[in-house]
Amino acid sequence: MAYLATFHWGWLLVSLLLGLAMGWIAVVQRGEGVSKSTARWLALLVAALLAAAFARVVPGRPGYWLDLGLMMFAVYLVGCTVGSWLRDWVVSRHTPAA
Amino acid sequence: MHGLFRWSSKWWPGVIPLAVFWAIAAWTSTLPMESDLAARSGAALKDTVLDKSQIAVAGRDVTFAADAFSDADRHSAVASVEAVSGVRLVNDETRLVPEAKPFVWSAERDVVRVTLGGNSPLPSSKAKLLEAAHADLGGVEVVDHMSLARGAPPRFDSAARLLVDQIPKLKDGKITISDNKISLAGMARDLGGREAIAAALKNLPEEFSVANEIKAPPYIFQAYKDPVAVTLTLSGYVPDDKVHAVLTAAAGRKFFSEKVVDNLKTSIGAPAGFTAAVVPALGALSRLSTGTLVVSDREVKLSGDAFYDAAAVAIRAGLGKDFPKDWQFKADISVKPAAAPVDATVCQQLFSDLLAKGKIRFVSARATIDPDSLGLLDRLTETALRCPTVKIEIAAHTDADGGDAFNQTLSEKRAQAVTDYLVKAGLPADRFMPIGYGSTQPVTENNTDEGKAQNRRVDFVVR
Repeated sequence: MAYLATFHWGWLLVSLLLGLAMGWIAVVQRGEGVSKSTARWLALLVAALLAAAFARVVPGRPGYWLDLGLMMFAVYLVGCTVGSWLRDWVVSRHTPAA
Repeated sequence: MHGLFRWSSKWWPGVIPLAVFWAIAAWTSTLPMESDLAARSGAALKDTVLDKSQIAVAGRDVTFAADAFSDADRHSAVASVEAVSGVRLVNDETRLVPEAKPFVWSAERDVVRVTLGGNSPLPSSKAKLLEAAHADLGGVEVVDHMSLARGAPPRFDSAARLLVDQIPKLKDGKITISDNKISLAGMARDLGGREAIAAALKNLPEEFSVANEIKAPPYIFQAYKDPVAVTLTLSGYVPDDKVHAVLTAAAGRKFFSEKVVDNLKTSIGAPAGFTAAVVPALGALSRLSTGTLVVSDREVKLSGDAFYDAAAVAIRAGLGKDFPKDWQFKADISVKPAAAPVDATVCQQLFSDLLAKGKIRFVSARATIDPDSLGLLDRLTETALRCPTVKIEIAAHTDADGGDAFNQTLSEKRAQAVTDYLVKAGLPADRFMPIGYGSTQPVTENNTDEGKAQNRRVDFVVR
């Protein structure tokens, strides 16, 4: 993991920024998100992919691509979380004043 | 926290560009990362001794194939690759180098090249042997057919290295190590090469046994007696300076009138009994009018012309009598055509000339003719044959050492011994008058060794 992080820091940074932006937008976005059941299925899918990655069952290049995708996805999620939290904090600071 | 769940349901649109970035990242980074991992895995194996090492990287998985020389090497090599940062899995396709039984190594030399073949225990030993062969052989082509195998005998490297150093001494041949047996066959390049190799083989590690069948070029010694130039030319080889001195001294004594031209070289490799065979063979050559002596290893060939029939018979019968065992000889002796008869005056002149150049020698205080004087006696006999009508007084003299009566008797016996030699050669006994003068007629003072030597003499006086 440490090797992937140092080798691909550029792409991970891109994922983080993308996550921050998406998280920033998500707080104030109108419209429907994914339904609970879909979210559950997606979470299950991610868990299955994580299990496959940790068990190292996918061989060769696909295995590497899986690891890379999951790392980028994880960093994206972190970015989303931080982005949403920051936006929420900014919004809640402005609301009482308005 | 509740808000986080609510917001997260709206994060999904970002996954679409994320997937695009992921695809681009995978597309661009796979090959550089694979080559980086391959390079670092190769570097991690730098200190492990392996053969046919191959590293193939797919993603972060390394397929590692190699021939290892021991189980420990094999495991440590796999562990080194596994420890490389970034490597996810190692597909271990290593194996042990096959074991050779028997473990055979060979070096073969022919006219144009040296071929190293068979098994070698480690890449480093193989490289060292090749390097040594290149260094030892200068410009000769060295071909490497060695393959790697386990099962080498202990101290193989030092034995093989010593054997490689012997290749320059070979003209052609083959050196083989089979387990701990070493065999050598072929022909040495120079005289003495066989002995040099045999001496070097003594330094082999003691666990090796050696079968040395290296042959050497023939050891040649030649002597040519030229009656026109009045020379004796010695050529070929002698084993050392001591033998050289012995042979030139013997030639000086036996060839009383010839100038000795010494072209001998010193080389080891002489057959046993060399001096004991060559000295009597030179004696036989000294009795020829013209002739060639060739000693090749243990074979002596003498050819030429004797002065008269009886001498030819005596030389044929006598050659080889004094030779050491295992020596062979071949005598091709003919007889020189008889020279024209001469009158008494010329006959006396010829005797005097011969006896001025050389003296008939005897064993000290005895009447036995020294074998070194046989050449001179044959020349005197030939001269006597040329003047069949004259009577000849054989006058023997001694020096003044010893009592008069003893010297008188000794001189008489010596005169008789010379007469007997001439009679045996086929001359009628009534032509000779053996007379002993003891020490009564010295030609010079008897107070020096040189003077005494001059006084000890046998004169031929035509009557």
